[in-house]
Amino acid sequence: MTTVLTTAAPRPSFWQSSFVQHVIGITRHSPTFTAGVVIVLIFTVVAIIAPLLAPYPPTRTFPDAVLSGPTAAHWFGTDGNGMDVFSRVLYGCRYAFGIAIPALLLMLIIGVPAGLVAGYVGGLVDDLLLRTFDIFRAFPTIVLALAVVAATGQSLIIVVIVLGFLEAPIFARIVRAEVLALRSSELVESAVVIGNPTWRILLMHILPNSIRGATAQCAVRMAWAIRVSTTLAFIGVGIQAPAPEWGVMIRQGAEYINTGEWWIATFPGLALVGLVLGLNLLGDGAQELLDPKGRDSR
Amino acid sequence: MIIVQYLARRLAFVIPLVLGIVFITFMLVRIGGQDAVGMLAGPMAGKAEVEMIRRNLGLDKPLWEQFFIYAQSVLQGDMGKSWQSGRPVLDEILTRISASLELLLISIALGTLVGVPVGLRAAMKPNKAFDQISRIASLISFSVPTYWMALMALFVFFLGLGWAPPPMGRLDLAVFPPATVTGSYFIDSLLAGDMQAAGSAAGHLVLPVLVFSLIIAAPTIKQTRAIALEVLGSDYIRLARLYGYGKGTIRRIALRNSFVPIITYIGAELATLLAAVALVELVFSWGGLGQWGLNAILFGDFAAVQGYVLVLALFASSVYLIVDLIVLIAEPRMRR
Repeated sequence: MTTVLTTAAPRPSFWQSSFVQHVIGITRHSPTFTAGVVIVLIFTVVAIIAPLLAPYPPTRTFPDAVLSGPTAAHWFGTDGNGMDVFSRVLYGCRYAFGIAIPALLLMLIIGVPAGLVAGYVGGLVDDLLLRTFDIFRAFPTIVLALAVVAATGQSLIIVVIVLGFLEAPIFARIVRAEVLALRSSELVESAVVIGNPTWRILLMHILPNSIRGATAQCAVRMAWAIRVSTTLAFIGVGIQAPAPEWGVMIRQGAEYINTGEWWIATFPGLALVGLVLGLNLLGDGAQELLDPKGRDSR
Repeated sequence: MIIVQYLARRLAFVIPLVLGIVFITFMLVRIGGQDAVGMLAGPMAGKAEVEMIRRNLGLDKPLWEQFFIYAQSVLQGDMGKSWQSGRPVLDEILTRISASLELLLISIALGTLVGVPVGLRAAMKPNKAFDQISRIASLISFSVPTYWMALMALFVFFLGLGWAPPPMGRLDLAVFPPATVTGSYFIDSLLAGDMQAAGSAAGHLVLPVLVFSLIIAAPTIKQTRAIALEVLGSDYIRLARLYGYGKGTIRRIALRNSFVPIITYIGAELATLLAAVALVELVFSWGGLGQWGLNAILFGDFAAVQGYVLVLALFASSVYLIVDLIVLIAEPRMRR
């Protein structure tokens, strides 16, 4: 009777817990995924606690230190308005996520249902949707985004809406392809035979099984949204100075690059490359994990 | 027989495609609510004058009629006038497009010459050192924005090392442009035997071409690798291995079958790169179509914006069409 207590299994140490084992497994399987997650997490934290990290407010000017190079007081130097580049780069993370996340949500909200309906209903609806995509495919997205944002107004919301609409077809295409494969599967056939209504089949049986390919795309599309929105700002469309947005900052720095004030354009560019690279690594790794076949086909 | 059917279907779609493109271009400057009439009339104009301008421009007509008029004049080659220069938009485009094409075609050739072999080599031995290095390198250069890379290149090679000429156009100020034959300053001055101009043109080309071809090479490596891996893992390659074919033969079969998807990919790239080249042009003041188009967008030059977008879209669709035709000819499975 007294031995019962002693035979209880020892509590597994932290390193043996299934969560840690799982993480190690993923890292071993796809180091790129882990690297991407770490980079993106760092940027996320910076975006959230930017006011705590930044030494100065992003638009505070230092009239005695205009165009100062990197110093102890201004780690990344100051720009032509005398604003602290380091603080502005940190706050820039907020713009990047503030555009990329809503734009991604919009792409999903438009693209996934469109792909579901096109793939399941098929026929004329499918044809019409595909042809419309074909016409839009002819327009380079960056120029379309430029023209629309320039014509409709220079605000952050407009940028988000335009990016969301422009890349929604990508998700529609991916989901549609998966739905087409699923439509004639036994799973869906039995669901129909049992007497499920169409909306239920779409929502409960097809959607969960067709969303896998789309999830791997999410990080890559966020990277795309950040790239395009900063490009717009660099050209001078969309978000305007003195907003601490990376594209705006590179635009301001471009004026000084030929006179030697390199720090204004360099540091926001490095931050931009870092975040976009992190998201691309994450997306690449996710694809690897979801579809191991594509990676090492012998 | 299949070829003829396919061709007919593909070509039949060209007409609605072009109409759709013209329609989107037409709507593009109308969704904004920016008032072209107000801008033309100026702040001092009275109500009657505004109304008169509106009528003169045909803006009082219903939208569908306006579209019909616009489509008709576009099909006749009339894209209106740029209010910035007062010249016909078509003339502006034609004088500038060769500068953009020169930069684009050289860069795409270079980017492909680097990207495809690297991608193929990486696919031959997946997950080995060469594959990993090329994968990381292409991911990094894929994540670098074109304009930022151009700025950094300028800083290092123009300001720092002094190797590159200043980013102002395609020739030194003291050099006269050669007589136009192909539109490429470099080739034209070679044809004219003007070595000084050829050297100057080449010098101005180096940096933008380097930047842009790096940008192009990155996704090319990734795509080529993916395509080659898929082919190498396919059933017919496994069959060839079972037959006991030599390594060289198998590589040859794999290469031939990778050719078509790679061409398709490069075509899709080319179609969008005429737009992307604008960013390189902007940083280097190249004076091509892209720089002009971006400028038109910034200053609300409606006719010019429409012309620019229309040219890009028509260029892209013709590239897609040509690629489809090449695939048709090159793909052995389509010929049955």
